[in-house]
Amino acid sequence: MKKAIKWILWIILGIGLILIPKIFGIYYTNFFVSLAIMAVFSQSINIELGYTRILNFGHAMFFGMGGYGAAQALALIPGMPILGAVLCGMLGGGLLALVLSPLVVRVSGMACAMLHVAFNALFFMLAMKLRPLTGGEDGISGFPIPPFNIPGIISIDMTNPLNFYYFAVAVLGISMWLMWYFTKTPFGQIMIGIRDNPKRVNYLGFKVPESRALVYIVGGSFAGVSGSMYALFQNLFSSDATSGLNSFQPVLMTMVGGIGTFIGPIIGSAFFSVVEELARRYTERVELVMGLTLIIVILFAPMGFMGLYRDLKARWGKAPSLPKI
Amino acid sequence: MDPTTAMYVSQGIHGLAYGMILFLVASGVSLIIGMMHIFNLAHAGFFMLSAYFTYQFVAWTGNFWLALLLAPIATGFCGMLMERFLLRPLRGSGVIGDLILTVGVALCIDALVKVIWGTANKPLSKPPLLQGMVHFAGLDYPYYRLFVIGLAVVVLLIMALLLYKTRIGKIVRAAVSDNDMVNALGINIPLLFTFVFGVGIWLAGVAGAAIAPILSVFPGLALQMGMDAFIVVAVAGFGSLRGAFMVSILFGLMNSYGVQFISQLAPLSMFIFMAIVMIFFPHGFFGESEEE
Repeated sequence: MKKAIKWILWIILGIGLILIPKIFGIYYTNFFVSLAIMAVFSQSINIELGYTRILNFGHAMFFGMGGYGAAQALALIPGMPILGAVLCGMLGGGLLALVLSPLVVRVSGMACAMLHVAFNALFFMLAMKLRPLTGGEDGISGFPIPPFNIPGIISIDMTNPLNFYYFAVAVLGISMWLMWYFTKTPFGQIMIGIRDNPKRVNYLGFKVPESRALVYIVGGSFAGVSGSMYALFQNLFSSDATSGLNSFQPVLMTMVGGIGTFIGPIIGSAFFSVVEELARRYTERVELVMGLTLIIVILFAPMGFMGLYRDLKARWGKAPSLPKI
Repeated sequence: MDPTTAMYVSQGIHGLAYGMILFLVASGVSLIIGMMHIFNLAHAGFFMLSAYFTYQFVAWTGNFWLALLLAPIATGFCGMLMERFLLRPLRGSGVIGDLILTVGVALCIDALVKVIWGTANKPLSKPPLLQGMVHFAGLDYPYYRLFVIGLAVVVLLIMALLLYKTRIGKIVRAAVSDNDMVNALGINIPLLFTFVFGVGIWLAGVAGAAIAPILSVFPGLALQMGMDAFIVVAVAGFGSLRGAFMVSILFGLMNSYGVQFISQLAPLSMFIFMAIVMIFFPHGFFGESEEE
């Protein structure tokens, strides 16, 4: 019975995603794509921050590697397929994480966070200064967006926003599902163990630094995917997207949604995007609206929306409340 | 005196002045983290607010000295209001709530400043008494920067006396090391928190008021100072005022000489320095290890 309900919900979600462009028109379809990109970006940080407690406050580096990877792959290699570009972005994010991992998995707590802030500042400066590679503040733009090609079977034009929407939903949906699957494997349990008590996990015979490194690389790779989708979506990737502020935003989204829960970052990024869109539309003071909204939300839900949900559920005696991180 | 020496000395004075300002902000951050375990990301916002208050008071009264006295007090009062009505309801609900709340307050301050004073630079002239240069041993020193250094030293001495020679200072130091125990001994910890938060913000306010005539007042002031102050606190270690003082001076000098010699790398020098320190001293130079 419960399984049937679950399947029905999934089907409704699928149909809803297919119908979004038909119902809301192209403007809101694009809005939804950027929301989905932010959701994947936030989720990739949630895996590190919420599940494993790697305090990564420089996630925009990996986002940037993904964006530059995809944009440069399309600009430099003729005949690059679109999925290849996304893969390049994923590899870019993963590679940077691999390079940094020996260092960052051995420091914990605040040192890790500040180290990331420093690395992010370095990365941002490099992105600004290495103009031949990154285009600096102007960024890389105007690279060709190739059609989605399965040789001999199908070729879909990706410059059409409607087609791109379906492509983005597919790629981002699969990324989301992969990350969900990752947290549900036995390794996912080790991640949570490392978050709650790394000494004990070590004592049980698991290798804590190596496990943290793996989580770090997975998080970096999916940040790379979101970065490459962002580059494809905008047909532009500039150094702005790698600034420290862009690292902080997904952390905030994750925290507002509920850190350490899978649905939290999705709710958080949806909430942020909607509030920002409304503020932009009806007022001139986006910052003020965002700040006030954050204060009000956090006074009523100190652990984010999912924390509030769990607390309410716990009050009715059904589930334990969210662990404090 | 030859120009090279003159350059060294004048850059040194610039560096010292900036280091002192940095210390005033960072000491507040450090106090609040050490005692309340709150990362006050709005701290630099208050610093900027105080600079705007100073501008406003000068515009109303024309008296810089009055502004220098009143603006930090007004800012500190705003900080106390924030602690009492926003942070106190969140106590005990974890780090995340505090973080998001302070970000929200920082955004609000940023936006309010733009609403009230606009985005344009607000120039503020130095008081007539402190304009010009001092001539000493064949060199020129800008008067105002010397005044800033002196002001910071005075504030520092007052703070040191307050912390180490009075009963309230003793309580504050005890609360930094274990606030639950102090609470159990019958000290009104919530009231103390409001007081310390106010003092921390007041320190940032003094820095903001003092820096207003050097830099013109503009909305981007908070971001730069906030980053620098947090780097100082991380490198020095949480809750260590002595460490914060030394690191601030070091960074101030590093900044001014860096601009002179390696201008390309100067904005990054602090980050590089911090990265190296964090790798070898994860708890900062003077910090105690965090409880896990």
